[in-house]
Amino acid sequence: MFDLSFARQALPQIIAATPMALLIAAVATLAGLLLAILVVIVRERPLPLVTPLVATLVSFIRGTPILVQLYLVYYGLPQLLVVLKGWGWPVDPDGLSALLIAFVAYALNAAANLSESISAALHAVDRGQYEAAVTVGMPPARAIRRIVVPQLIANLLPNLTNIVLDLVKDTALVYNIGIVEVMGEANIISALGFKYLETYLDALLVYIVTCWLIARLFQLSEFIVRRRRPTNA
Amino acid sequence: MVLEVHNLHKQFKGKEILRGVDLTVGAGEVVVIIGPSGSGKTTLLRSLNFLEHADRGQLQLKDQQIDLAKPTKQQVQWVRRHTAMVFQNYNLFKNKTALQNIAEGLIYGQGMARQKAEGVARAALDKLGLADQADAYPAELSGGQQQRIGIARATVLHPEVILFDEPTSALDPELVGTVLNDMQALAKQGQPMVVVTHQMWFARNVASRVVFFADGRVVEEGAPADLFAHPKEERTRHFLNSLAENY
Ligand SMILES: Nc1ncnc2c1ncn2[C@@H]1O[C@H](COP(=O)(O)OP(=O)(O)OP(=O)(O)O)[C@@H](O)[C@H]1O
Ligand SMILES: [Mg+2]
Repeated sequence: MFDLSFARQALPQIIAATPMALLIAAVATLAGLLLAILVVIVRERPLPLVTPLVATLVSFIRGTPILVQLYLVYYGLPQLLVVLKGWGWPVDPDGLSALLIAFVAYALNAAANLSESISAALHAVDRGQYEAAVTVGMPPARAIRRIVVPQLIANLLPNLTNIVLDLVKDTALVYNIGIVEVMGEANIISALGFKYLETYLDALLVYIVTCWLIARLFQLSEFIVRRRRPTNA
Repeated sequence: MVLEVHNLHKQFKGKEILRGVDLTVGAGEVVVIIGPSGSGKTTLLRSLNFLEHADRGQLQLKDQQIDLAKPTKQQVQWVRRHTAMVFQNYNLFKNKTALQNIAEGLIYGQGMARQKAEGVARAALDKLGLADQADAYPAELSGGQQQRIGIARATVLHPEVILFDEPTSALDPELVGTVLNDMQALAKQGQPMVVVTHQMWFARNVASRVVFFADGRVVEEGAPADLFAHPKEERTRHFLNSLAENY
């Protein structure tokens, strides 16, 4: 029978593991945004070698499961650091924590998805507005900052919301490299008490509430960004 | 001369679009450029403020002599600060109100204090009878209103010359008049301008000089009365006849 009191007792422990999931998603989002901006810049002004390489990496990341990427970074990054150390770089291959590896893997994944969304959001701002801005005498950088970027952000928010939600849900995989977040905690508790349904329902509840809160947060920011401006074609 | 262009050349992918264009604009002059579609009129205007990069050509604006093929960053910026452009599709800043659209160039192009710039913008809107639209965003305005604000955005900068690229082509016919009126008023104030248009009424009645442009070159130019009544070149006659047939 379903053990409601077990589910109740386990819930606080699972909630306590939520910050770890949020931390990974948040770091991946922020680092991923920075990386994605670089990727978009490289793809907007084609450079020989670099641009095709970046494009290939992006499509590779977007076309493979995040779990594979996680394992690849888990086993690959330490080896890469060994090589770099051999070249005299000041890196410590043994100092890599599982958390750092998760940050790297999830940030790369976020960067690939974000770069596509940022590109789309950028191209949705017609070039004519940028041209108008420079013809009234704004220096190009200022024209981009004042005219292009605000509209880009408004265009980006819906996709950004989805990407962040996907990241949060995907953190359910990092228990595979020994990090205890919501899913890891649920695995531990359920294995100890043999109450699988109860614990995983708790985990489900935690994900639903978390994702709902995040979606609301983005909805609010989208409302603020668009509040004083009607959407336009 | 306010503006002089010499021997302007421009290719797109090996195809010659501008083949040695010479053009002058004198003080208070309204130069109207007419010519067939695809002849390079837009490219000509866009080469003057570096929205396109010319392959060859000299630009004299006020006292500055600039190599259009190899301008420095400072020269590009200088030219853009001393000219303005009105676009076929208005290109208003969609994230800014009507008032902000007009003030933006004053503040961030010319360094005017915000309060003063907004005063100037408000006065411009008043003059156009659009004061009640000051806080409207472009999406809330008609095409005619947007273009009139586009013209005000250029005018308040008091540029040496304003470049108009088919400012009424995207408008519903009943809105064309209001925009042409604004342009005529501007011409009366002595604002030098170069206007690419298919509005022959404007060319006949407002132009100081009409330039017939075809195949990337100036074919002939002259006072509107002369050019329309006695075109010298066969090419011009042909073009004017083809227009007449459409009416
Ligand atoms: N960015 C570009 N890349 C390649 N070709 C271009 C580009 N811009 C313009 N062209 C070509 O240059 C030629 C001249 O174009 P332009 O727009 O200057 O003509 P136009 O006289 O303004 O025509 P219209 O009256 O239709 O506006 C056309 O054949 C056009 O296809
Ligand atoms: Mg054109």
